Amino acid sequence: MNRLPAPIREDFARAKRLEWQTLFWMSTVVAAMFATMGGSQAMRSALIEDVLSLVPAITFLIAAHFEPKDPTGKYPFGFVRVNSLAFLVAAVALTAVGGFLMYESAMTLIMAEHPTVAPVEVFGHTVWLGWLMIAALGWSVAVPMILGRIKLPVAERLRDKVLHTDALMQKADWQTGLAGIVGILGIYFGYWWADSAAALFIAFSILRDGLSNMGIAAAELLDGAPRELDSSSISAEAQRLQARLEELWPQGDVRLRESGRYIVGTIEGVHPPDDLPKLDELMGDDSAWRLARLSFSPPQALRREDVG
Amino acid sequence: MGITGNAFLRLAGTVASAAILIAGLAACAELPRDPNGTTERIRRTHEIVLGDIAGAPRSPAAERILERVAGRLGARVTRVEGHGEDLLNRLEKGKVDLVYGHFAQASPWAGKVHFGSPLERRRNAGEEEHVPRFAFRNGENGWIALVEREAR
Repeated sequence: MNRLPAPIREDFARAKRLEWQTLFWMSTVVAAMFATMGGSQAMRSALIEDVLSLVPAITFLIAAHFEPKDPTGKYPFGFVRVNSLAFLVAAVALTAVGGFLMYESAMTLIMAEHPTVAPVEVFGHTVWLGWLMIAALGWSVAVPMILGRIKLPVAERLRDKVLHTDALMQKADWQTGLAGIVGILGIYFGYWWADSAAALFIAFSILRDGLSNMGIAAAELLDGAPRELDSSSISAEAQRLQARLEELWPQGDVRLRESGRYIVGTIEGVHPPDDLPKLDELMGDDSAWRLARLSFSPPQALRREDVG
Repeated sequence: MGITGNAFLRLAGTVASAAILIAGLAACAELPRDPNGTTERIRRTHEIVLGDIAGAPRSPAAERILERVAGRLGARVTRVEGHGEDLLNRLEKGKVDLVYGHFAQASPWAGKVHFGSPLERRRNAGEEEHVPRFAFRNGENGWIALVEREAR
């Protein structure tokens, strides 16, 4: 059964196709980078970032497999939050790898290790490996630049954090590719430190991605208010909904939280009204499908006052 | 489509121009520069200091390559004999320009110095196999490229 709201089904299917395409095209990038890596620290960091950039795509596809499934006895609320769980795991991995790469690049810089990039033989011609590295890095710029730009509007329509992060990571990917090219050109012009400096910059970008993703994942884990896709501030859509609900039930305490791509609301201290409005009407001009559930908690509900 | 046709063409155009620029650079490229200036120093002093590991059988291919490199830079080869560890240490510090010997690619020295490709058509030597080759100071990419080109 497809438990997705009808208005987003088409975009959801498109997002899945885009993520499969991402896995294919980014694999060609990883293969090209691996084949030409040599002794460059910047290439190594860029390769690891490209491999890591597959994680959000895989996370999205795993979550997309579970999300439309029916609730079960063990999971009575269904699987809409699978992507939040996968997202947190990916964010922790990203942060750990970013931290490790920063340490490694900084040590290479401090120890003043000079990267060796020797010539190789290609079809009977001797070519400096650096030129092949730059060609591979050029490919690693082109692929994510195009994929990221295609994905961003789809992620916004789906309110999908994983897909949005994926699109942003692809931006970081092509910037990494450019930094890598600068590092290799630095080696060519005899600046040994350019390579480690580029690697350090790339590692910093991985670490920053990881930390910001951990913040977004933690907000949902703590039942935080719905956030904007591109920042940690409360989403404008949720603020408008909150205002409408407070206007309708001024005596109640309105609480909104995010559950996957949906908003779930509770109005505390209010009996369920006899003439319940439709969920769609409550969203006003915003996307109606976002509000998945609204419940009322009467004043005499059993709850501890010292919790939550 | 999330990306308009024009935007895509602009993007593809930028990437293609960058690729052409890089290919152009590669085509007219000279050798990379050495951070410690080995090649320039040899041109200036007309002397290549070769570390010759005591007891390593001389290789006709190595002699030919040295002769050609010396000819290109207008230099003569000064040989310094010694034991492997001593010479590789001196290479790491930049006191010799290259070391000739029988080395395995999997040698514990592999991270500290750069081992060139096997000489005498031994292209498929195993990682653990000791084969004749030159060792270079790490990062002296122009010097490494110059010798390796003559070796092919």
